[in-house]
Amino acid sequence: MDVLLQAIVNGILLGGFYALMGMGQNIIFGVMKIVNFCHGEMLMVGMYLTYMLYTYAGIDPYLALPLVALIMFLLGAGIQHTLITPSLKTKSFTNLLFLTVGLGLLLSNGALVLFGSDYKSIRTSYSQTNIMLGPVSVALPKLISFLVLIVVTIALFSFLKYSTTGKQIRAVSQNPVGAEVCGINVKRIYLLTYGLGIALAGIAGCLLTQFYSIYPTAGASFGFRALIVVVVGGLGSIPGAFFAGILLGLLEQMSALFISPSYSDMIVFITFIVILVVRQLLIMRRR
Amino acid sequence: MLKVENLNAGYGSVNILWDICLDLNDGEVVAVLGSNGAGKTTMVRAITGMIRPTSGSVVFNGEELCRKSSRHILDAGIVQVPEGRQLFTDMTVLENLQMGAFSKETKEHFQENLQKCYQWFPKLEERARQAAGTLSGGEQQMVAVARALIGMPKLLILDEPSLGLAPNIVDDILNVAKTLAKESNISVLLVEQDITKALAAADRGYVIENGRVALSGSAEELAANEHVKKAYLGI
Repeated sequence: MDVLLQAIVNGILLGGFYALMGMGQNIIFGVMKIVNFCHGEMLMVGMYLTYMLYTYAGIDPYLALPLVALIMFLLGAGIQHTLITPSLKTKSFTNLLFLTVGLGLLLSNGALVLFGSDYKSIRTSYSQTNIMLGPVSVALPKLISFLVLIVVTIALFSFLKYSTTGKQIRAVSQNPVGAEVCGINVKRIYLLTYGLGIALAGIAGCLLTQFYSIYPTAGASFGFRALIVVVVGGLGSIPGAFFAGILLGLLEQMSALFISPSYSDMIVFITFIVILVVRQLLIMRRR
Repeated sequence: MLKVENLNAGYGSVNILWDICLDLNDGEVVAVLGSNGAGKTTMVRAITGMIRPTSGSVVFNGEELCRKSSRHILDAGIVQVPEGRQLFTDMTVLENLQMGAFSKETKEHFQENLQKCYQWFPKLEERARQAAGTLSGGEQQMVAVARALIGMPKLLILDEPSLGLAPNIVDDILNVAKTLAKESNISVLLVEQDITKALAAADRGYVIENGRVALSGSAEELAANEHVKKAYLGI
């Protein structure tokens, strides 16, 4: 029973990262209709950024969080401005597919050249601290990460729902022509959205550093799971992404507990494929 | 107030509009008529800066607007109700209207303009918190017109307001346009395929065929014109 509870808590905590990644991918896809195939690599960049700030400047990972988010936002906006905006003009999905996949390869290989392939980690004074929640023991960094996730989710949701810029982002995602008619600067919204999506990946990377090894392909599995979260959680829905992320984390921990940890990846993707097929069949039947 | 001269525009290397000339006075309702594919919407897009004209001039209240950005043209006071309405369907009616306030001035006057819109279209006040996509076609067209009015236009361009709507709703919308022109001194450029209804609402009109102005004149003249009767009214 305690083992089950422990797995549930771990699943929720892990799912938080999938949710964070999924939300970033979701707003990028929602607004620009492009799948950001370098989303996982952006998480990895956030990890190395946090690592460098900690190792060379002695900044605590949690204090570095706003800085990492800001740098990642600027990086995202820069990529949008110099690479994606010109590529969007071609209106070619293939073009953007190659662009973002290529960027991902560039980033992971760049990290390989700069930092080597060995696993790096950050060990703070509280990395190993555990807190008992009833019968369940939780690592303090994981708990903090989850609280940060909740704050970020609520902030993002409120930003999109109530602020003028947030409403403009939704307007562009629903109808770019209508948005231009209303004088909304669509290019500026693209810049903000891509920056925001990348900042979310950076936040996830920063939070992960305390209990996940840092290496050039560390982001790949998170990048793929972000896509699942978008599809399962529903396009444009922040709460949907949040719950889909948590569910995904739970599924992974449950299959690790009841079947085998080495099969959990496989089970996640089989479930995803089943969901896709069943959903498609349901849609076809409705027609 | 609006003077369009020798406007040429198109998409890529394909030219659609050929030397369009057109003018419009304060408080006037002018119809631009033509069949599907004549170039009416391209003309709207060229005047509002959503596509860049290849040559020509668009002078509005003394300012040359040709080849200016769409935002600049909005700020100058030309606001359009686009073809197909282009609403934000998952956002509420109120949020759609908020998006119409693009400048500092229109944001400051938002509340009073919103009340005016609710007077024009009382249905919208009832539906303010409802997603725009759940409204009927006529109500959606009202949202689109109201969204443009929130932008405090000096010139309102209505692109195919009758598209897919019941005749009595078209009459309502055209009546509002007419009243706006007479009472609030907003000029209206009415782009329409439904020539009978458009000529009934307009003071003057232009007929566009194959991207060129084929005919122009007062609404009565056009309605009586043999070519118009034959080609468009089926008489």
